[in-house]
Amino acid sequence: MEAKVLDSWVLAEFATPDALVDATRQMREKGFQGMDTYSPYPLHGGSEALGLPPSRVPFIALGGALTGLVTALAMQTWMNTIDYPLNIGGRPLLSLPAWVPITFELTVLFCAFGIVFGLLGLSRLPQPYHPAFEFEAFRSASTHGYWLSVPHPTGQDATDTTNQLKSLGATQVTVVSGENE
Amino acid sequence: MTAMERYTGTPKLMVPAFGLGVVGLVLTAVGFFMNPEATSFSYLLGFTYWVGISVAALIMLAIFHTAKAKWLIVLRRTMETMAIAVPVFAVLFLGLIPALKYLYPWFPGSPLLANIHGVELEHLAHKQHGYLNPTFFAIRQVIYFAVWIFVSTRLHGWSTKQDEAGGLDLTVKQRRFSPGALPFLGLTITFAAFDWLMSLTPMWQSTIYGVYYFSGSFLAAFCVLLLATVNAQGKDLYGSVVKTPHYHNLGKLMLAFTAFWAYIAFSQFLLVWIANIPEEAPFYGLRMFGPWRPLSIALFWLHFVLPFFTLLSRKLKEQPRKLAVVGVYLLLIHAVDLYWLIWPAFSGEAGPTFHWTLITAWVGVGGVSVGYALFRARGRYTLPVKDPYIAESLRYVQP
Repeated sequence: MEAKVLDSWVLAEFATPDALVDATRQMREKGFQGMDTYSPYPLHGGSEALGLPPSRVPFIALGGALTGLVTALAMQTWMNTIDYPLNIGGRPLLSLPAWVPITFELTVLFCAFGIVFGLLGLSRLPQPYHPAFEFEAFRSASTHGYWLSVPHPTGQDATDTTNQLKSLGATQVTVVSGENE
Repeated sequence: MTAMERYTGTPKLMVPAFGLGVVGLVLTAVGFFMNPEATSFSYLLGFTYWVGISVAALIMLAIFHTAKAKWLIVLRRTMETMAIAVPVFAVLFLGLIPALKYLYPWFPGSPLLANIHGVELEHLAHKQHGYLNPTFFAIRQVIYFAVWIFVSTRLHGWSTKQDEAGGLDLTVKQRRFSPGALPFLGLTITFAAFDWLMSLTPMWQSTIYGVYYFSGSFLAAFCVLLLATVNAQGKDLYGSVVKTPHYHNLGKLMLAFTAFWAYIAFSQFLLVWIANIPEEAPFYGLRMFGPWRPLSIALFWLHFVLPFFTLLSRKLKEQPRKLAVVGVYLLLIHAVDLYWLIWPAFSGEAGPTFHWTLITAWVGVGGVSVGYALFRARGRYTLPVKDPYIAESLRYVQP
């Protein structure tokens, strides 16, 4: 097993979202991988510039929905026909139309759970610590700054990456190192 | 941009539509002399199918104006064209007049009255007479068409006037007028559904019935809008400026209204089923048991489950031609849905029978109304070219 080493990133701030998306795309075309963008609100074209694969959240959502559907149908069938059968107005014990509202609700609920927790899980959120947080200026990512992080081998010279980011219009560039997760 | 040129009314589409329509209507008229009962129901199906699409387009237009939606401005003229076809239905409604006594048991001289006995007959004669009588029926029809023609001509008129004059004030007018018109549109289509369709079985009432008719029509209207746009995709046509996000949105709306239709259909069914009251249950009893049962079950699978899961796919919604296939399918299934609503009142226990006038009436009303809509579109721009937000609509992207 390899010994664990610290991870490093080159962080670059851009003045506008368009500059960030543009720089991201160009850096990716130059062959940089594992980059990430940080902005106070969703970026138009951000995921395309990063070259992210299609999200897996829809499949988790569908899985959640189907789980809810089956759970609700099984639960009501078991309760109303096996565990506590009640004759209501002479209707059959297995009255599927009456099951539908609960089934609908549970399907929606589990689907929503799938979306929320699937998204949090895939994005590894909540993230209480990341080495980038050590850099004070990075706080602007939650108010008015548009940041790009480029992974960088720890301990090696980052001048080349820094210069490339500056030539793409970065207003400030820094290198952070630390323990990621 | 050549897509900004005026629509010249290509005879390629308009003439065959009119021709087919007239042939269909003539054949239907012949059918009426051969078999007035069946033909009356066929014509009602054709009429309610197409007028529903036109009025749904009008409501959609008013909703989008109310919401100040910008993305659909490139599609708006097509919606306005669909809505402006309403006057032709006022004329086509005249064809329904000789059919009324074959359709509605409450109509004086109806042969169907013989099937109604005892308490039901008394109910019909006294309690419902104040509403279901020819005079009030006629007054209501005048109100419906007056409201629809008024609203559609105002919105279409301002929009086309803006093509020449430009300026923001005409946009403001449309946006102020639409929210005020919406309650009237909602009430008229609800009562129109009560009058045309629900009073086929006067003993049976459902307050959600209007929404049911509307939800199917709304879905069909999106499909027609989609097909018209896909059809205009060629070079220099307005469809060439309609981009993937617009189609994606149309697909999303189709998905939403597939689910909405199912929601309304089930809401109506559940309350009747769970209450199981003698005066309400027969409507579903007829359709749930016996020869109508397979069609009712098929409708659930084919009008909800299949299109719902098909339209879930994002890739599909972003491919106009594939989405158009779903659109055609939904338009056909909407006709089956109306058949399911209307025909049991005619054939009853005999089950889903077929009469050739079903096709001729549907094609007849459809051909004439599509032809008329294209006729109204002639000489106008296919886009609201001077709308202040048209540029924003053209470069719309998914938020």
